[in-house]
Amino acid sequence: MDSNQKRFVEDALDLLNELDEGLMQLESNPQATAPLEQVFRTMHTIKGGANMFGFENIGELAHQLETLYDMVRQGKMQITDGLISLTLHAFDKVRDLLKEKDVARINNAEVLKDHLTSAVNFLKVAESESSADISQTTNAKNKDELATFCLRISPTINITEDGNHPLVFIVQDISALGTSKVILIQKPSREVDHWEVFITTTAPQSELESYFIFVENECVVSYFKLTPCDLFEQPEFSEYLNSLDNLPADPTKIATFVALRLATYHQQKDEDEEIAEIGNTKKRSVSDSYIKVSKRKVDDLLNWISELIILQAQLATTASSIQSTALNDVAEQLEMITGRLRDTSLEIGLVPVETLVTKFKRLVRDLSKQLNKKVNFLSEGADTEMDKDVIEMMADPMVHIIRNSIDHGIEPAVERKAIGKSEHGTVKLKAFNSSSYVNIIISDDGKGISRENVLQKALEKKLISPNENPSNEDVFNLIFHPGLSTASQVSDVSGRGVGMDVVKQRIDELRGSVAVKSIAGKGTAIHIKLPLSRSIIEGLLVNVAETRYVVPLNVIERIDRIPYAEIHREDKVDKTVIVNEEPLPVLSLRQRFHNDVNPPKTADIISVLVNGIKKGIAVDRIEGKMQTVMKPLGDVYKQQDFISGSTILGNGTLALVLDPARLFLSTSHKEFSDKYEKSN
Amino acid sequence: MKNQTNETHAFLTFSLGAEQFAISVDSVQEIVELEQVTKVPNAPQYMLGIINLRGKVLPLLDTRLKLGLSKAEITKRSRIMVIELETTDDKNLQVGALVDVAKEVIELSSADIQRSLDFENYETDAPITGIVNNHGNITMIMDVTKIFSTAEIVQLNHSLN
Repeated sequence: MDSNQKRFVEDALDLLNELDEGLMQLESNPQATAPLEQVFRTMHTIKGGANMFGFENIGELAHQLETLYDMVRQGKMQITDGLISLTLHAFDKVRDLLKEKDVARINNAEVLKDHLTSAVNFLKVAESESSADISQTTNAKNKDELATFCLRISPTINITEDGNHPLVFIVQDISALGTSKVILIQKPSREVDHWEVFITTTAPQSELESYFIFVENECVVSYFKLTPCDLFEQPEFSEYLNSLDNLPADPTKIATFVALRLATYHQQKDEDEEIAEIGNTKKRSVSDSYIKVSKRKVDDLLNWISELIILQAQLATTASSIQSTALNDVAEQLEMITGRLRDTSLEIGLVPVETLVTKFKRLVRDLSKQLNKKVNFLSEGADTEMDKDVIEMMADPMVHIIRNSIDHGIEPAVERKAIGKSEHGTVKLKAFNSSSYVNIIISDDGKGISRENVLQKALEKKLISPNENPSNEDVFNLIFHPGLSTASQVSDVSGRGVGMDVVKQRIDELRGSVAVKSIAGKGTAIHIKLPLSRSIIEGLLVNVAETRYVVPLNVIERIDRIPYAEIHREDKVDKTVIVNEEPLPVLSLRQRFHNDVNPPKTADIISVLVNGIKKGIAVDRIEGKMQTVMKPLGDVYKQQDFISGSTILGNGTLALVLDPARLFLSTSHKEFSDKYEKSN
Repeated sequence: MKNQTNETHAFLTFSLGAEQFAISVDSVQEIVELEQVTKVPNAPQYMLGIINLRGKVLPLLDTRLKLGLSKAEITKRSRIMVIELETTDDKNLQVGALVDVAKEVIELSSADIQRSLDFENYETDAPITGIVNNHGNITMIMDVTKIFSTAEIVQLNHSLN
């Protein structure tokens, strides 16, 4: 593959993401022209590039699909689920293929042929139909607008609810168009007097009317458009409907709900429009100033800036040691400038979470179809920026969490309806910054994690003992335990219990944390907290037997100085030290990794909070707080994972950055294996 | 299996104790003097720690200990060979290898090198691929990837822990 072809592949992968996004918008909003134009344009670009750089079969496929969308543009065809699925699947294959490194392999691939044939067939069918009905497209400009209708359907013939009359099925079909509530009012003879259907849907009234075309003579239908928005969002409305118990709804009551809802709706709409406007202008100005830079260049830049920070620290040390005011001034200036340079350069490597959101939308769409559930995916704060590497590393774990939400969390539509939830479940991704962390919350409004199920599983696997009564938090954290899956039936999508522990592991690797909140029947929220940068770390520089360590600041609770004799405990069972009037289990770095030769008179105890448990690390002396660039130790030191990296100090020597969580983990392992060896 | 060509290849010679060794210069980036080493706790003995190579963190290995020889005294002539290896997953691995004395670069044609299978049973773990008479000094050619490959180091770590 030559460099031009590589460039094409890279661009095409970006384009495919855009295409996905466009298709998804088109699916939820088939009449909108903007996404249609975008989809068409993107396909055209892919086609052009593919043909130019010798990927003929991709070009051919893009051409066929482009033709289909051109017909849509000309109004000869409608966007259908089938068309969208066909396109998505075809370009999925293209995406897979492009990951191949060999052009011949890409061109000879048989897999595209199937998609090509189905596209050609689709086109044939579409062409034969296109002459039929063009007028249909014009009737629904506002199709994307949600609206709540009240339909009153009175049969003019005598039928019963369990009868086989088409009208019964029509009512069912209509109620499936959106969030709905059907009230059946029966005559004393148990025959249907009339139905009252309250429905929030994107379908226009004309579409609703079309359902009754063939039964016009057998019923009278009256339509009332209640609100141009989702009335079911007004909780009193749903409650009222549920309380009716097959009695006719009181129009005055409904009117008050409508008024209530409209008040909030207009306010909301104004706000939404405002936000949309801001979003639009912001997007425009940003997209104008994008440039594409290779990842390597950014990495190089960051490396050089790290060197600069180290040099600057050396300069500061030298300046203060030769006590020159002039030099000190320069050093201070330099410190400020390098600080800003570092912040700016770190931002270069950041990309918005949005790149993931497209992927997730697609996942939710495919999964909800596969599992036959109704799920909406909402995202908030998609412009929150994160390190590109971190985003890539987090993609799979987040996919897993979302899979779990849809598979285990969100109930099937029927079940949701039965317990008075809206049929469409919601999975929400929220991203935001807080100090030097990026927060990601993935939540769903499903059935929540069952405390009993987790406990029972944990008991079966002997993770806890029967007489324990752990807190909710502890129970939910058990889902991260390897080999624990709560789905009573392992499904195709998730539930092998190999997922959540990997999620946790990945988050730990990135020095982040994760918390689970869940309320039975209401839903689950998983809160992931990740450091903004993988390489910049704030910590305390400490000295242990002339070796320097850095303890990350984010876990430190307090610092105490005690006489060294207190932690010298050869031949003692007690491993705790009283700190702040509480016994604290303490690990002495000196005794653990070094020797007791020439011990200092005092030791500094750093209390850290690791996985919710307070523990102490004893060091000889705390030298100060520092912000520094962490460098990996390399694969050679993979086994020493309690050291997350190292950092170069002002005088050119190295300090080891501790990973407190792994430190305590490795010591407990060590103690265990020591005992084990001794018993043998 | 002798390959009779006149193409020569450059090797770097160094000594461990009284013995002479050579490795292909292709994988040697530079030779630096030994400065301050920061020890990484809980690591096998031959992993001496990490050093600061002009702003880069470099793991340092003791070649003698790695080969199963006794630990050497650090002298003024001790040197670090900075070695870059290609690992299986396209990543480059950089390590520093401590040797007693780093000597010279010699040109050898494949005709000069005698392949000796007997060294498979050499009492150390040295992966010797050939032997050369370098002006009267017996010099053993070592396969550098085999001594310092991560896979092996990681494996060794496993067996030690």
